[in-house]
Amino acid sequence: MVNEFIIEANNLFKSFGDFVAVDNLNLKIKKGEVFGFLGPNGAGKTTSIKMMVGLLRPTGGQILVDGQDIAHADRLKIGICPQDIVLWESLTCKESLKFMGEMYEVPNDVLKIRVERLLEDLLLMDKANTLVSNLSGGMKRRLNLAMALIHSPDIVVLDEPSEGLDPQSRRVLWNFIRSLRDKEGKTVILTTHLMDEADGLSDRIAIIDHGKLLRLDTPKNLKNAFGDGDIVEIHLADSKMNQEVIFRLKTMESIDSVTEVDGKINIRTLNAVGKLPEIMSKVQGMNIEIADLSLHPNTLEDVFIELTGTSLRE
Amino acid sequence: MKFISVAIKDFKELIRDRRGLFMILFFPMFFMIIFGIVYGNMGQTNETYNLAVVNLDEGAKMPLTNEEVNFGDNLTEIFRDSEYEDSDVKLFNVVNTSESSANKLIQLKEADAMIVIPKNFSQTIVDKMEDSIATQITGTTSSNNNDTLKLIISGDSSSMGFGVSQVVLIKIIGKYQDNLVANIQSQTSGSSVEPLKLFEGDVESVSGTESFSQFDFLAPGMMLFAILLLATTVAASLTREVEKGTLARLRISKMRSFDMLFGALIPWSLVAAIQVLILLTVALIMGFNWQGGLNSIVLAMFIGVIGGIGSIALGMIIASFAKNDTQAFNLGIMVVVPTSFVVGAFFQLPQVVIGEIMGRSFQIYDILPWTHILNALKSVLIYGNGLSAITYDLAWSAVLTAIIFVIGMGLFSRFRLSVEN
Repeated sequence: MVNEFIIEANNLFKSFGDFVAVDNLNLKIKKGEVFGFLGPNGAGKTTSIKMMVGLLRPTGGQILVDGQDIAHADRLKIGICPQDIVLWESLTCKESLKFMGEMYEVPNDVLKIRVERLLEDLLLMDKANTLVSNLSGGMKRRLNLAMALIHSPDIVVLDEPSEGLDPQSRRVLWNFIRSLRDKEGKTVILTTHLMDEADGLSDRIAIIDHGKLLRLDTPKNLKNAFGDGDIVEIHLADSKMNQEVIFRLKTMESIDSVTEVDGKINIRTLNAVGKLPEIMSKVQGMNIEIADLSLHPNTLEDVFIELTGTSLRE
Repeated sequence: MKFISVAIKDFKELIRDRRGLFMILFFPMFFMIIFGIVYGNMGQTNETYNLAVVNLDEGAKMPLTNEEVNFGDNLTEIFRDSEYEDSDVKLFNVVNTSESSANKLIQLKEADAMIVIPKNFSQTIVDKMEDSIATQITGTTSSNNNDTLKLIISGDSSSMGFGVSQVVLIKIIGKYQDNLVANIQSQTSGSSVEPLKLFEGDVESVSGTESFSQFDFLAPGMMLFAILLLATTVAASLTREVEKGTLARLRISKMRSFDMLFGALIPWSLVAAIQVLILLTVALIMGFNWQGGLNSIVLAMFIGVIGGIGSIALGMIIASFAKNDTQAFNLGIMVVVPTSFVVGAFFQLPQVVIGEIMGRSFQIYDILPWTHILNALKSVLIYGNGLSAITYDLAWSAVLTAIIFVIGMGLFSRFRLSVEN
């Protein structure tokens, strides 16, 4: 029977002394999907990924790659594009890709074609013979990605691939990630801070915090689970009054949740427009001045805030 | 053959980092220049060296006259009376002693050199004379006494005193032989058809009569220091791979520790060989009395490569523990500088003999390959010796380097190339 899942993490646990980085993580990643990994900084995303590609030994639990324990898994199956730009500055783009291919024992004739194709796909062809040290940040990041793909792995792990990219380069990258899945049937594991990136690219998203898996579902289901409703964001002139206002608003039955995020009051409710007068009168009844107020439909970021109690950029 | 790809990659990185390459190749050159300026004329004063003579010669009777002669005593007197050219300063302070006492004097550094005159010294010369006379009379060559005598000169090869004494002794012995031959030929009234060879020194003759300076004995040490400094650069370079994450990238590929470390060995060994060549050139410009031919350069470069491999292995050990390239560099300096002193790159430390191997005393410093590398470099460059004279040191340095390399590879693989905990 063909295994539907290409990566399985069973009770994955990692601690550094007393600090628990990953706490009994259980997840299964399907073949050919783009799997989003979301979590605030220090949530355990990179640690989990490092264990999944065999760079870090778990304290407990097991990782299976295509049904095989990670320790014995075929290294050709996985390609990782790390968060930092990891390149040899004194090599040219072509030399870097060729060297990496040789390290994966890619046959010379195949390697030659693959180098050309990757340079073309990632818009680096005219920089093929340019030293890495002379590339722009965006070009380096694209080459960083190409290095992970030179051996044509089944699983491509992208750790914050859009970090530092201009909007144009980001679009190139997103299209490329989609083509990896759609044209080549590769499994892409993606960690990102960008909600629109996770929302637009991922087939499924795992939200992780403090090393624990909080939710794992499709972006649509995640948003639905936390209400089809809207988010009202109130910025008080005196943010010291936030908790008092939250306490008062929580008495309203029609409101799903009220939390403080980044010094603002975040209210989630269905049909926010209809409930706005009541909310306003509650706040004004307390003689508290509202500096700013906004209303928008529920997004993945709101789901994330709801689950982790923090914004992604913290 | 992934190690070849690694070697090519490392080589490209090495030559494209012009500033780094300049530092690696030319930084030791400045040391050589400074040492050349400071020590270039030092030691050229007419110093009298202590010579222990072990004269075992039992004497013989001269042909024709039957006169009792002892050429050993005669040669000893010549050693005693020899003076520097255009000076009344004696070359040697001669002490007649036994072989064991002479060895002790060498060990205590109370004698710069010792020479052993064999017991059949006079008899062999007399036999040669008789043969020569017989040849003159009968016109036939006697097949007897074709052996040439060996006068064994020994001493501490790392000391400047021995170096100078050795050169002068060879010179005196050569002249003594020439005079004896001329004497015999005149006694047998006529000229010999073939030149008569009576004896030879155990150490190959050193050309020229230039007086050695302290710089001559320091130059090979400077070469060794440069080779040892490679450990620092290699350590920093390997640590940089760890720090930048490129090593992690390679770790999840099919590359093995051997590919990475053996690949790194090739370009760095080349650097070691080039370093020896550059430093020898600079040393020659600074007045180094180079005694070898062109083959000695090749031999010195080969020795440099072995020393370089040892330094690369040392660099791997340092890189196994350093957290970043600055730390690797500092740690490297902390290891390399004391090692340079221990192996005698700048001056000889007091002898600490821990045993005897193959008839040679084995000192505590001999457990480091670079001690043997330095001995071999000195032997080739100062005394002009060939491969056979350095086999002992070369073998030791190769074995010890292999051990350090295995340790370096083991530590680096364990701490840097295995899955993180």
